[in-house]
Amino acid sequence: MKEKLKTFIFSELIYHEDPSSFGDDDDLLEAGLDSMGIMRLIMFAEKEFGVTLPDTEIEPDNVQSLNALERWIKQAA
Amino acid sequence: MNAAFPFNPADYFTYVLDQEIRDAGMPGGYCGLALQLGADPDLDSLQRRLDLLVERFPKASARIEQQGKRYAWIPTGNPILLECHQGHPDKNSEEETRRILLEIFNRPESLPLTLHWIATRPGGTLLLNWNHPLLDARGAKILLDFLASDKPESFKESPSLINAKLAQWSFWKKLQLLFKAKRHNDEANSLDSCLPTQTEQGAQTLNLKVRRFNTEESKHIAALARKYTGLAGRTLYYLGCFMRAMEQVGPPAAKAGYCVPYAFNLRRQNAPTPVFGNHVGCLFARATRAQVKKRHGLFEHLLSQHTKVVREELDLAYLPLMWLGQWLAPARYAQLLRKQHSGGELSSLWFSDIGDLSWGQKGFLGAPVTNLTMMCWMPLPPGLALLVGQLDGRLTLSYSYLSPAVDEVWLDKVMAGMDAELLEFGES
Repeated sequence: MKEKLKTFIFSELIYHEDPSSFGDDDDLLEAGLDSMGIMRLIMFAEKEFGVTLPDTEIEPDNVQSLNALERWIKQAA
Repeated sequence: MNAAFPFNPADYFTYVLDQEIRDAGMPGGYCGLALQLGADPDLDSLQRRLDLLVERFPKASARIEQQGKRYAWIPTGNPILLECHQGHPDKNSEEETRRILLEIFNRPESLPLTLHWIATRPGGTLLLNWNHPLLDARGAKILLDFLASDKPESFKESPSLINAKLAQWSFWKKLQLLFKAKRHNDEANSLDSCLPTQTEQGAQTLNLKVRRFNTEESKHIAALARKYTGLAGRTLYYLGCFMRAMEQVGPPAAKAGYCVPYAFNLRRQNAPTPVFGNHVGCLFARATRAQVKKRHGLFEHLLSQHTKVVREELDLAYLPLMWLGQWLAPARYAQLLRKQHSGGELSSLWFSDIGDLSWGQKGFLGAPVTNLTMMCWMPLPPGLALLVGQLDGRLTLSYSYLSPAVDEVWLDKVMAGMDAELLEFGES
C-alpha cells in the first residue's frame, strides 16, 4: 500500500530528487503536499484501495507521512 | 533559431484571453511577480543570467506565429535586456515603486518576457513581467529561481504536462471526460454571475492595491482556513471570504450568484521543470447569493463542491475540452470561455494563488527578499483580479483592477470586508 501511495505522490504531486530516500515517517506536508494535492491523494486512495475516507478526518495527523496515511486507510477499510 | 514551439492546450487557452484583453485596447495578458529586495543584487550578473536564459531556453525571447489553425512560439534570438528604473529620491519609496510598476504595466508591450530593476535605495524591486501564454505563475517562480541559482545547468525544459496527461488516456476516456467537462461548464454557465463593474468597454488603465498581513495575522488566517475548509481547502477559504466581502458591500452588477474560476496545476510541487508553458486546468467555485450570506454554510458548500469535482475527475475533465479548443478561432473560443447562457460574463473575479514562496537565508542573488507583489491584466468585465501569495509565512493579497471601470471607493470597502472575513472579525 505504501509503495503505491509513494509512487502516486512522487509521480503526480511532489517533486523529490530521490524519492527512494524519502522515509515512511518523513513529513509530506513539509515536502510540499498542498491542499489540492491532499484532495487528489485522498481520491486516489479511495479508488485504489476501495475505502471511503471521511472529510471530517482530513487532518495533519492522517496525511503527515506515508505511515500515517496507511494507518488511516486501514482504519477506514 | 527558427524552430517552432507549438502552444499546448493551456497556452492557447491563455492566448485567447490575451487577445480579448488586447482587442479591448489594453496591453494584453501580462502578469507580474515583483520581489522587494533589501539590497541591490549584482545587476551585471543578472544580465549574464538573462543571456544564458535565452541561450538555454530560446522560447524566452520569441514571437507568436499562427501556423494553420494552431499557434506557436518562434524564437527570435534577441537578447532580453534588464531594464533599470530609478525611483525619485525625495518621494516615498513604496509609492514610487507602485507608480513605476504601473507605468511598466500600462505601456504597450510586444515582448513575451521583460525583467525590471526599480532602484529605491536602499534596495529596490525586481519585476518579472510575462505574457501568460509563455508560462504560468509557478513557472515564473522557477524562472526567478533559474536567474538566481548557483546551478543553472540543473534547470531543463520538459514536455507539456497536459499533453503527457492526454496521451495517457484512450480516445474513449477522453470522450467521457469531455462530456463530463461540458456538463460542468453548463452548470457554471447557468448561474448568472455578480460582477465588480457594469462597464464593458472604454479606455482603461491597470491599477493596484496591496494588502500585506503580518506573520501573526497570516497564521491566524491559516488556522481559520483549516477550521472552515479543512486541510484540503485553503484556496476555498480565500474565495469564500471574497464572495462574502463583495456581497456585503453590494456587487455593482448584481445577479444570481458568484463564480470564480481557479487553476488546477499539473506541476508537481517544488519541481524545477518545466520552466515554460502553462500546465493548468480550470475549476470553478460557485455559490448563490443566498449561500454566500451564511458564512459557515458557504465554506461547507465550497468544500463539498470541490470534493465532488475532484471525486468525479472534473479537475482533469477540462483538459480534453482545452485540447479541442485549440482548433477554434480565438474569438469563438473566448466567447465559449467567458459567456454564460444569459450572455453575461462568467467570472466574478480573476483569481490565482501562487502558494508559499521563500528565498530563505540566501535571498535573491544574495539580497534578502522582503516583500512580494503580483499583478495581472484581465478582460473587462470582470476588471478585477485577486492574486494571493505567501512570502516566508506572510500572506499578501494583490488586487489588480481596471480604472475607471472598477470604482476605487467600492474596492476599498470590499478590501476592508475581505480583511474582516479572513480574520473573522464581527462574524455572524
